[in-house]
Amino acid sequence: MSTETLTATHTHHDEHAHHEHHEPSFIRKYVFSTDHKMISKQFLITGIIMGCLGMLMSLLFRIQLAWPDESFGFLETLLGRWAKDGKIDPNYYMALVTIHGTIMVFYVLTAGLSGTFSNLLIPLQVGARDMASPFMNMLSYWFFFLSSVVLLSSFAVETGPASSGWTVYPPLSALQKAMPGSGLGTTLWLVAIILFIVSSLLGGINYIVTVLNMRTKGMSMNRLPLTIWAFLLTAVLGLLSFPVLLGAGLFLIFDRSFGTSFYLSDIYLNGIGALTNSGGSPIMYQHLFWFLGHPEVYIILLPALGITSEVIATNARKPIFGYSAMVISLLSIAVLSFIVWGHHMFITGMNPFLGTVFMYVTLIIAVPSAVKTFNYLATLWKGNIRFTPGMLFAIGLVSLFISGGLTGIYLGNAALDVQLHDSYFVVAHFHLVMGSAAIFGMFSGIYHWFPKMFGKMMNNTLGSLHFWLTFASAYMVFFPMHFMGLAGVPRRYYQFSLIPEFGIWMNVNIFITVAAILGGAAQILFLYNFFRSIFKGKPATQNPWESNTIEWSTPVKHIHGNWPGAIPTVYRGPHEYSRPDRELDYFPQHEVGNGEPVHYEGPVEVQKTYATDSKDSASKVFFSSFAHLFMLKKA
Amino acid sequence: MNTTTKNIFKLALVAGIIFFAASLISKSVDIHQLNIENYSAEKPLFGADEYQYEAPKELPANDAVATKVKWSLLFFVIILIMVIANAFDISALTSRLTGKQAINSNNVNKWLMIIFLVIGLSAVAWEYTVHGKHVLLGDSASEHGVKLDSMFSITLILTTIVFVITQILLFYFSFRYSKKEGQKALYYAHNNRLEVFWTLIPAIVLTLLVLRGHQTWRSIVYADVDGTKSTNIEIFAFQFGWNARYAGDDGILGVADYKFISGKNKLGLANPSEVDSLLVELKAAVVADNIAIKNLPQTLDQLKKDWQAAKDLQDNEAMSSITKEIEEINCGDRLDDLEASINRKTKQIERIEAIKKDPKVFATYFTKAEEDDVITQELHLVKDKLVTFKFRSRDIIHSAWLPHFRVQMNVVPGMPTKFTFIPTKTTKEAKAENGEDFDYYLYCNKICGTSHYNMKMKVVIESQEEVDAWLKTQQMAFKAMPAPVVTPAVEITTDSAAMSKDTTAKKLALK
Repeated sequence: MSTETLTATHTHHDEHAHHEHHEPSFIRKYVFSTDHKMISKQFLITGIIMGCLGMLMSLLFRIQLAWPDESFGFLETLLGRWAKDGKIDPNYYMALVTIHGTIMVFYVLTAGLSGTFSNLLIPLQVGARDMASPFMNMLSYWFFFLSSVVLLSSFAVETGPASSGWTVYPPLSALQKAMPGSGLGTTLWLVAIILFIVSSLLGGINYIVTVLNMRTKGMSMNRLPLTIWAFLLTAVLGLLSFPVLLGAGLFLIFDRSFGTSFYLSDIYLNGIGALTNSGGSPIMYQHLFWFLGHPEVYIILLPALGITSEVIATNARKPIFGYSAMVISLLSIAVLSFIVWGHHMFITGMNPFLGTVFMYVTLIIAVPSAVKTFNYLATLWKGNIRFTPGMLFAIGLVSLFISGGLTGIYLGNAALDVQLHDSYFVVAHFHLVMGSAAIFGMFSGIYHWFPKMFGKMMNNTLGSLHFWLTFASAYMVFFPMHFMGLAGVPRRYYQFSLIPEFGIWMNVNIFITVAAILGGAAQILFLYNFFRSIFKGKPATQNPWESNTIEWSTPVKHIHGNWPGAIPTVYRGPHEYSRPDRELDYFPQHEVGNGEPVHYEGPVEVQKTYATDSKDSASKVFFSSFAHLFMLKKA
Repeated sequence: MNTTTKNIFKLALVAGIIFFAASLISKSVDIHQLNIENYSAEKPLFGADEYQYEAPKELPANDAVATKVKWSLLFFVIILIMVIANAFDISALTSRLTGKQAINSNNVNKWLMIIFLVIGLSAVAWEYTVHGKHVLLGDSASEHGVKLDSMFSITLILTTIVFVITQILLFYFSFRYSKKEGQKALYYAHNNRLEVFWTLIPAIVLTLLVLRGHQTWRSIVYADVDGTKSTNIEIFAFQFGWNARYAGDDGILGVADYKFISGKNKLGLANPSEVDSLLVELKAAVVADNIAIKNLPQTLDQLKKDWQAAKDLQDNEAMSSITKEIEEINCGDRLDDLEASINRKTKQIERIEAIKKDPKVFATYFTKAEEDDVITQELHLVKDKLVTFKFRSRDIIHSAWLPHFRVQMNVVPGMPTKFTFIPTKTTKEAKAENGEDFDYYLYCNKICGTSHYNMKMKVVIESQEEVDAWLKTQQMAFKAMPAPVVTPAVEITTDSAAMSKDTTAKKLALK
């Protein structure tokens, strides 16, 4: 294998003689580790634990929604006074919904996804020994850990955890007497989120600096794997938007505890009387929140898209179609995501003119998303697809991204939002496009880079089974919800049986819950596969997926500093798969070529057939390539 | 782990899933019978005074069919799991026989792609036909709703086409171009014309959608910009219920302010005599609070005695509640609460008096327009007549949603919002279409606390005469004998803070 020959040529260790070869202490190695690979494992495992908790919470409230009048003994055993007589208390239902949302959005899909793979892949794929600041990186994880502990500790509070939805809109969240969860539970929520923001900023600065400054020789920006582009843009988004949430959270803390009126005005609370607060605006909180909240959606989604871009290219054995278009669409999504937040607020009573503006920019953001989808499809076309579990999840992501993305066109339309706002349609939309799609990206990444993380292989059969069950259950859970929402079923309702009109959805609710339990059970396959493979998995080879990117040139057994010899030099882009001038169907980025052109444009006959020849008239070329792509014409 | 144990593990897992699902499903079979008993036991935890309890109607349900559907569903799931598990077993077996370990499940996955596509698309078609019937709850019952619905239909058609085409391409490509021995993928990295094409086409389609959306949106939000054409009705939201306020004969809604809200004056209308009696009430409450602070040591002693008495009676409940109170006093929470309460009320008194002092401000508040206002618990609207809802919230953000009319607007404390529209279908007409049990409702659609899920108001659309006749049966806010929605007695008994103050004051008086 080429990698061995490469490392063999760099036998001199002068560059990193300071890497003393004594084993670090247990605490330095496994707990307060500054090694990016270990930190990424810490993020991943914490993320998986949080994900399981979030999923279990969702199953609990799904059980409540499916059988609102049933009494389940095990609920009382599990939740105690929150489920007297085996029925979940309405306040606790709200708390479960809130914490489920918070955990999934921030703790699993932001820290668990971005934290894991940015940490693992940025140094390995750009060719760096570690992050720019390993110590900050360690701090980032421990702030995240602390934040998770604080958030979960709110379950031990007498009045229960925060219950005003994951968006914690004031005044509901600001007035301690407005609902039980707005007491100490919300204080803990806010503290947890502030710690989380600190963690995210420490991580984000590190990612940006590492990508921009520490690329190896030859790794120009247009040779970066798409994962790294996605992580870079994600970090930029986080860096620019999380501080705004920090401000919003601090103002909320002031309003709650120090008597300020940032978000409060003209309030009379039952049992208390008229409050003195005056002059604030609850809508201001929503503006601040969604200024983070919308980029947050892309903070979640972009890494997943980056991961699947690499996984699809590797397993379709084809260059990703339109590398520059993919980068440009990532960039435009990132930029546009900052100016669309108002589409969450069409009907808050803000000036209708603003509604128009936000509608325009929101629908513009659908264009780069469509470009990405078509590029994925074109990459699969005429590929040589290997269905590894990672690839299956990547294909699943594209499917979910299409399904969920299309409903965004309804919700981005201010006029339709009048009817659809806060209905189950919204729940279905974001669970498909942001929730399921991103979690599929995460699974894809886990299956694909597991050999790199743990030096073992996961079981492919269990992985496929896990994929098909999860994929089917994702659609079975979320697809019917569109129709519920369109028929006027509001979200965040504790039960629907008090409203006769919703009686027809009783069976659908049961169906969804059963499907959710099935999906939950499928995750046991994953957990079993994951943890078993860490210890007993088949040992991995150095480059099990025959991939081009340079992380696969590092030894299977992790070492501090990643490469035993010098860091490899990069000679080409990450997607030189199935080049006709080579026997092997891959061409690693660091492999020395012999006399190849700098910009390989593909074989001449392909260029001719698929029209990059500028002499032809544009329309003729276009139609012929289109016809080829959709198989109207034999090549 | 050898194959046998692996298979046992798989089987156990599948059996476990099935067992769990079956036990849950079997429990659901007779839910409808259980419904009624449990509702009556339902008790609100918060705002008991305002909790508008409504007896649920029996749900129309065909248990036999429902059960059948559930069991066939379960059967389907079992079969699916078995098929998948077997497929993998076979692939594992063949891989062992042929000795090719690497990517042998490729063919299975390839066919699963097609199976998933076919089952998936048929399920989607089934959803569209069966659940699609309920989409948008039938024809819109308002004028702007018709435009909104046509906007919806256009979007639905376009997105469905794109959905079907792209999903078919995705799964078909996955199936068609799966790995074959000796096959090499086509090296084809980019085609800028294609990129331009699939940037431009979505851009054009979205432009068309957004332009139409823009038109629809404008026609909805600018239906009555200067507010002269429509009748104003105030929609007042609180934890957890709604009130409607009609302007009465003068056609003007009287001024209202949260500072004027009292037990009798629930919406806080600016009525001089009500405001005066509120001032008296507030001042008395401040005095009572002050006395309560002074008497905290005595209260503590008394509580300790009570606790002893409760202990002698072995009344555990009383003991724990008294202990809680003692703790509250000991840690200073009670004092803080009382001081905060004095603070709040003093500020409120100051602010009300400031309004009363300045004749100009006084004139803007106390216009006498409120005298004939009618406060109701149902919303009756006139068919084919432009109406503007003026939303006001007492406490937190609520959202008024009338799904049948495609009307929704948040109700924000401290920020007036409004929505203008024309209802076009009477309740009677709707009942004729949907059955006698049908009624329009206004739901709360912004999470607002414990009873959010039951915060609704009945909406009735009828002719002008019927609405007028109905309004006559409703009480006017002040002119006629005031009969507030909630009687003051109830308000005080549930207002625990006020009650404790009262009792302290009474105790003091007795001493």
